[in-house]
Amino acid sequence: MFKKVLVANRGEIAVRVIRACRELGIRTVAVYSEADRDGLHVRMADEAFCIGPPPAAESYLNIPNILSTAELLGVDAIHPGYGFLAEDPRFAEICRDAHITFIGPSPEAIEAMGNKARARELAQKAGVPVVPGSPGPVRNEREAAAVAERIGYPLLVKASAGGGGRGMRVVHNRDDLDRALQTAQRESEAAFGSGEVYLEKYLEEPRHVEVQVLADARGNVVHLGERECSIQRRHQKLLEEAPAPGISPRLRANLHRAAVRLAQSIGYTNAGTVEFLVDRQENFYFIEMNTRIQVEHPVTEAVTGLDLVQEQIRIAAGERLRFGQRDVEFRGHAIECRINAEDPAHDFRPSPGRVVGFVPPGGPGVRVDTHVYAGYTIPPYYDSLVAKVVAWGRDRAEAIARMERALREFEVVGVRTTIPLHRAILENAFFRRGEVYTNFVQRRVDLRALARP
Amino acid sequence: MSQDERRSLNFDEIRELVRIASEADITELEVEAGHLRVAIRKAPRSLNPAPAATAPAVPAPPPAPPPEAAEPPAHWVPVHAPMVGTFYRAPSPDQPPFVQEGDRVEPGQTLCIIEAMKMFNEIPSEVGGRVVRVLVENGAPVEYGQPLFLIDPHG
Repeated sequence: MFKKVLVANRGEIAVRVIRACRELGIRTVAVYSEADRDGLHVRMADEAFCIGPPPAAESYLNIPNILSTAELLGVDAIHPGYGFLAEDPRFAEICRDAHITFIGPSPEAIEAMGNKARARELAQKAGVPVVPGSPGPVRNEREAAAVAERIGYPLLVKASAGGGGRGMRVVHNRDDLDRALQTAQRESEAAFGSGEVYLEKYLEEPRHVEVQVLADARGNVVHLGERECSIQRRHQKLLEEAPAPGISPRLRANLHRAAVRLAQSIGYTNAGTVEFLVDRQENFYFIEMNTRIQVEHPVTEAVTGLDLVQEQIRIAAGERLRFGQRDVEFRGHAIECRINAEDPAHDFRPSPGRVVGFVPPGGPGVRVDTHVYAGYTIPPYYDSLVAKVVAWGRDRAEAIARMERALREFEVVGVRTTIPLHRAILENAFFRRGEVYTNFVQRRVDLRALARP
Repeated sequence: MSQDERRSLNFDEIRELVRIASEADITELEVEAGHLRVAIRKAPRSLNPAPAATAPAVPAPPPAPPPEAAEPPAHWVPVHAPMVGTFYRAPSPDQPPFVQEGDRVEPGQTLCIIEAMKMFNEIPSEVGGRVVRVLVENGAPVEYGQPLFLIDPHG
């Protein structure tokens, strides 16, 4: 096992990793930017080293300074947390060259899953369904019509170079196809200098469901169940739960099997998450694989009783998984609310600043992962996550009741937070019935009501 | 023990000189013993206002604390480590240090080397002046932004 681990991150996840190391008897090194001198991770680690000025590009993404610190302080391994360098195959490779273990998958696996087209190809090869579409760009109307015939309507015409919804058209039937194709091509040409478009099946009100996997270096792969992550705002997850409410046992088993199959087929190691879209008919499609520990990992920990970060460290140290699939037991239901320093009254603009009062919730079934304390100043340079509140219950209703109770207890004075948004979601009748989909917040939550004082 | 070492000053003697210099109404004191020369210059009291033109009506304030306990003068300029690495005072172990305390340096003159990722980075002084303190031991790891030297631009 490692003797000393450097945590190449900040905030709550750095604190989380330090906790896991301490329980395993591993010494820790925190690195920090000049904006994080008062960071909780700096206080908690056995050693701390400043690696740069506040901008992340010059500190938390500064590979030379992080590697130098690792070498100077004699660490055996680096945990990258999430974000920053967690999915940079170059960083994982540089660690390998420096004989410092990167706690995560191989650079090759990170690279393969980081490229969307390559990941899609590998998923198809592993027999995992992907969102149906044209194999490549469509050159003319005849080709488009043939693809549309195969994948069915509604479909999306998307610009190959696109992004942010530009060069994208929803097509409901054959009559609209030609016109949509032309418009999308023109728009794409104007916006991106390339008229190249492709077709993809349009999923109405899809759900975002992901499967957690763990794989050791000896080819053992297990899944730790799924997480429902449909509650999002502008593609940012807000609330996650495990297990996914209201899906059939058959879909659940198929999702788990598909995730394990993909991990096995690419020789994946360490913790990873396979993300799927699920439509109303319970068809599911692979969208991407995240090759890191995820923000929402505590909901899986709550229902399995495992410590995912410790498992990551054990796997990276070359240990064999200590349990097989049959040993993984799922108990109860867990929900996580990501509390951000954002102002719901002003279009969720960031609300950094000094936290004057901070009273996190507690009591039965409640866990809070945070780096914030009373007197701490939230710097404006990084993400706005203040705390992750996780509530566990014997069933979903109890988990919701506990979360509502916890959020009522939670007191943050000095900065605005998204607690009111979470309370609105939790009391929403559709949410309580488990009717969730990726545009839930947009459709079902009155954000203007939150803006009123 | 060599002749020179016997005749040079020990730490307590230097401290005594500092005490004498700080209590006496002088700005500078130089003492030579063997081939060791100690120069003590009192820092201008930049944090205090300039003495008033007329004599104060109140008694003089108590004497300032001895210099070794005092904060470095505000006009001394720190040189910070621009990267994480190992601090070296000399270009190689068998060569003399780039600078010693008391040396005058020009802007752009190399003060030290920081080794990072097998590369030797020469760290220049941004200001001209006198090197009044070397704050880091040769061979020690330094973090980003750590003060390495203090330079007195008026020195």
